[in-house]
Amino acid sequence: MFLCLYSLSTYGQQVELAPADSLDTKRGPYTIVVTAGGGLSYFSSRIGVPPSLEQTRINRFGIPASLRVMWYPDHRLRVGIETGWMTMYSYRGQVDSEPVRVRVSTIPILLVFSMPLAWLRGTDRSLVRRLSVTAGTGAFLNQSRLNYAGTVAANTSSLGWMVSGSYTQPISRQLRVAGELKWFDAVAAENAAFMAEIQLVWRAFSW
Amino acid sequence: MKLTSYIVTGLLLSLFLGCGRNYEVPVPYKFDNTPGSGRFTSSIRRAMEGVYGVTTGSGQFGEQVALKWTYTVNGSDTTHYLSIFTGADAAFFSMEGSSQTDSLVVKGFWRKLVNTENGLSRLTLKVKRNNEMRAYTDDLSLGDTLVLNGTYGEQTADSFQPLTLTYRRPLNKSPFAILAHRGGGRTSDLLPASENSLDIIKLASRLGATGVEIDVRYTKDGVPILYHDNTLNLRLIQKNGLAGPIEDYTYQQLSALVRLINGEKIPTLEEALETVISNTSLDFVWLDTKYIGPMDKMQAIQQKYRQKALLARRNVRIVIGLPTTDALESYEALSDKANTPVLCELDTAITRRLNARIWAPRWTLGPQTEEVKAMKAEGRTVFVWTLDEAEFIRQFVDENSFDGILSNYSPLVAYYHYVRQ
Repeated sequence: MFLCLYSLSTYGQQVELAPADSLDTKRGPYTIVVTAGGGLSYFSSRIGVPPSLEQTRINRFGIPASLRVMWYPDHRLRVGIETGWMTMYSYRGQVDSEPVRVRVSTIPILLVFSMPLAWLRGTDRSLVRRLSVTAGTGAFLNQSRLNYAGTVAANTSSLGWMVSGSYTQPISRQLRVAGELKWFDAVAAENAAFMAEIQLVWRAFSW
Repeated sequence: MKLTSYIVTGLLLSLFLGCGRNYEVPVPYKFDNTPGSGRFTSSIRRAMEGVYGVTTGSGQFGEQVALKWTYTVNGSDTTHYLSIFTGADAAFFSMEGSSQTDSLVVKGFWRKLVNTENGLSRLTLKVKRNNEMRAYTDDLSLGDTLVLNGTYGEQTADSFQPLTLTYRRPLNKSPFAILAHRGGGRTSDLLPASENSLDIIKLASRLGATGVEIDVRYTKDGVPILYHDNTLNLRLIQKNGLAGPIEDYTYQQLSALVRLINGEKIPTLEEALETVISNTSLDFVWLDTKYIGPMDKMQAIQQKYRQKALLARRNVRIVIGLPTTDALESYEALSDKANTPVLCELDTAITRRLNARIWAPRWTLGPQTEEVKAMKAEGRTVFVWTLDEAEFIRQFVDENSFDGILSNYSPLVAYYHYVRQ
């Protein structure tokens, strides 16, 4: 998928730079962009609830928060890292009249690649420039917290991936707001969630 | 055109990455588990045990097989099962006597452990007398040959293939320990019971084992339990959201909320030893020390169940395995080592220093012929672990230097041991 994105990036670049002076070696600008967001998530994998649990209540919704730092070079393929925190799911019930509560959350630490859809049609000023796709892979630190006959908080790591699509609306020279739809999948832990986020995008500095 | 090809490539990649196959091998036969052995009396069972030539069906199961009856005990009830061990792809049959016909019929299933092939099978015991096949009625005369004649199916296919097994000779009776790893077999081999469960221990002898190795850990509140890995994970347990080191959970928490892959509870060490003594014919238990810490509780349980076995007139050896220097230190820290048999997986010098009665090197160190000879000359037993390669199992059994083999494929070890001449 990254190769695919990279190829598309190169393709868009060729179209855009075709009329430019081939002797002009000046590159840039380069920008560091920080994105922070939050929203609502829905856990879409199978939830395993112990068969011994009675009066079970399951909650698949969570409130995720994410932080992404990207390097925007002078071509379309952008690279960065993403982390955050999200509740994947929780369930509660009773075993022998004693309450049980299990909450599963995750912290992704991902290398992400992003690219605006400007290669589809139009120029940098067109609307599609504001639409982008992002994909990444890395580690998910899965946290589980059990409250039953005491409390146990435990962690396990899992490889996984994410893919998302977003629309970014400029509101000032340095700030933008974005809406993003994401799919997270911590593969080994079989934890996958769909989420919708509102994000604040800050072009921290350029050179 | 170029854009289309990119999109198609992306979709194909997504499909490829998203379509991991989930392997399952459901047992195609439902056992009645009726106590007894149907029409198969003890003398018929004794007569049946042996090495048989595969007259038809050798393409699937090899040229010869070994037949052995085993049993499980439940209170005063004993239930007998027929196992057939083959040398082809670690295949085995597990069958029970049928009481629904007038003939001597066994029904059950077969399974190849190296893949997911399995199917139903139904065989009828007959006798070949003067070149004529006739029903067997426990009246074997000189010149008679027992023949098991019937069919086997493949997977869920409706069609059945002929299978004929013809008696050749008795089983090899020389003493040899066939030790099943993780209580009987690994969860990853898709057996009908999970590794380190009570159900797999009850199944072990039907898989050819004469003894089992089980993995011992402690819960947070100090209860010795059976579990191999150091964390709760989806390889061994059903999904429940819990993760992390098993030592972080109390026995109450694990017992109430955690189920092994096939739905069993994680057993305590005491439940496992009780099962070995009360429900099986197994005569050897290897307690693999998977934890770091004091060994006194495990020692107390070992001694308690050794006494229980003796009271039940069962000669079950229960030994503590010492796989690491940490386990060795825990053992050496015991205040009283009397009546605490150990199995040393470390080198021969340490084995001698501890005066361990059993030495168990890993198989990848090779046959170690001289060391094995020397240890046996000193009166020690020598096992080798964990050997799953068919060719090496055959070689190690044929060389007859080791006293037993620990394997994930106990049916394969059973086959090579019982057919050895």
